[in-house]
Amino acid sequence: MNEGRRMLRFVTLTAVALASAHASLAAEDTDLKRGKAVYQENCAACHDPGPGHPGTQMLAVKKGKELAVLIGRTDLGVDLVRAVVRGGLIEMPPFRPSEVSDADIEALVKFIHTKRDEK
Amino acid sequence: MSALPEGVSAEQMRDALAEMRGVVGDAWVISGENPLLRAYRDTLSTAPEEASMPSAAVCPASTEDVQRIVVIANTHRVPLWTISTGKNFAYGGPAPRTAGQIVLDLKRMNRVLEVNTDLAYALVEPGVSYFQLYDHLRERKLRLWIDPAANGLGGVVGNTLDHGVGYTPYGDHLMMQCGMEVVLADGTLVRTGMGALPNTKSWQIFKFGFGPWIDGLFTQSNFGVVTKMGIWLMPEPPASMPFMITFEKEDDLERVIEIVRPLKVNMVIPNAAFTVDLLWEAGVAVTRNQYFTGKGPMPDSHRRKMAADLRLGAWNFYAALYGLPEVIDATFEIIRGAFSSVPGAKVYFEKDRVGDPSFEYRAQLMRGIPNLTEFGLLNWVGGGGHINFSPISPTLGSDATKQYRMIQKTCHEFGFDYIGEFAVGWRDMHHILMLMFDRRDAAETKRAHECFARLIDEAAAEGYGEYRTNLAFMDQVARTYGANGGSLLKLQQRIKRALDPNGILAPGKNGIWPLTAKEGPPT
Repeated sequence: MNEGRRMLRFVTLTAVALASAHASLAAEDTDLKRGKAVYQENCAACHDPGPGHPGTQMLAVKKGKELAVLIGRTDLGVDLVRAVVRGGLIEMPPFRPSEVSDADIEALVKFIHTKRDEK
Repeated sequence: MSALPEGVSAEQMRDALAEMRGVVGDAWVISGENPLLRAYRDTLSTAPEEASMPSAAVCPASTEDVQRIVVIANTHRVPLWTISTGKNFAYGGPAPRTAGQIVLDLKRMNRVLEVNTDLAYALVEPGVSYFQLYDHLRERKLRLWIDPAANGLGGVVGNTLDHGVGYTPYGDHLMMQCGMEVVLADGTLVRTGMGALPNTKSWQIFKFGFGPWIDGLFTQSNFGVVTKMGIWLMPEPPASMPFMITFEKEDDLERVIEIVRPLKVNMVIPNAAFTVDLLWEAGVAVTRNQYFTGKGPMPDSHRRKMAADLRLGAWNFYAALYGLPEVIDATFEIIRGAFSSVPGAKVYFEKDRVGDPSFEYRAQLMRGIPNLTEFGLLNWVGGGGHINFSPISPTLGSDATKQYRMIQKTCHEFGFDYIGEFAVGWRDMHHILMLMFDRRDAAETKRAHECFARLIDEAAAEGYGEYRTNLAFMDQVARTYGANGGSLLKLQQRIKRALDPNGILAPGKNGIWPLTAKEGPPT
């Protein structure tokens, strides 16, 4: 009887944990998709790797080639990215809340960080 | 606290913003000390940021919101400055004409309302960017091209309303515009052209409707707020072939433009072609410091070294051909023959310029693919500042050379490089000087401002006028269109008074001021 209860409890807890993990992964996935969309729409044309991307070109001059590309830069936290997005930086114009929301910025940073893990 | 608009009390502003919050919600009225308001300043201009710092921004989500907001603005007599995507680089960005004006930010109105594949058009809201419309068509695998400006973040509506140009055969954006929905200052909703017909079937396919064609009144003006606009799209051709021809000498410009004119007027070259100077081309790929670290304009010896390294000419001509491959090949032989009379002319195709960002971004634009590569030019000086001086030139070699020498001389006198291009429309050319300066250097920024003001007057004295200008120079440029005692501006003023008697829409846009404003109207 006790053994049966223990088993039932184990199964229940495992199911709850899996569901929770699944929900968390789904939320993470949604965030990454959103971050990717924000990046593609607003950032990629200047900050993608390779020639023809003004932001990458300037960051290579200012910060060196290692930090020239945004994707994979885990040193860029939400606060810093938000400050640059909202305030602009030298050539980069500011982006308004009507273009990019604060939640968009958080998703963008997650996307930038996660891409490094995929490398 | 941000400055209030001229003639508006703190109470008026407070009451107006409170009512606007009732329309769009608290989150979409940004005002007072909210740091988000800083995103509405012009970060590229020669003018101080505080000269065009708004007191608030309001972001409607629908035409109905816009109608209610203009009624509130009329009730409380507060001025609204309309922007669409707000990425009007070099001409003012999202900032208003004067400090304190409320920015009416239409970016949230970003729906592609219709794409008609049979008749090749789209109906869009003002917040739709070139990137967005391009993605919309690609995701649906529609074989239609957009015609983007160089700035892919720019808006289809905003660029057209400011008379912008692109790179494909649909490069004259206002020519390709068809039908508008406009909110007037009193909240009245108007659909232009065939759109005025209930249940119309032709709003986006016939521009003129019945009676006067009035769409132009809502471009470069402050007579209404455009909330929808039709734009024609180019059917994807079976083939396309961008090409580049380089010319060794600065003096080749006159001959080149003489050759270009009949090719354009006779439509042998179908697209918006460009004749681009050395520094504009080089600046996309390299920085000035890589070739010259001194002050003042880059010396000829350094220019020659850079031209050789990058396989560029003093002038570089870009165009493209579209259609059946056999027709493209035959047509190109006409073009090759015409330019072969210029000694040293070299022809390049895509296969010859692989990895060259300048050729590649222009080839993309000539195929309707938006990007931002041209803004690599901002790295040339690296200080963030640039404003565009944009006089119209006849497509004549003599005028092109005269404008080039005049502008180059003044730029050099003020210590700046000439970085320019001629965008060949049909019979006209938009001559674009990108005046680059280090905005972190106050003295250099001031010199750039003075240089720009001088250029306007010098050009006007020779009969040349600008097609568009930065916020800070709108009054000066408007005054140059002063024939017959300034009757054109006075006519615009009369229209303004009739349509917007309280002067709430974009006071000062292109020099058109309400009669009550201290600044104007210019006499």
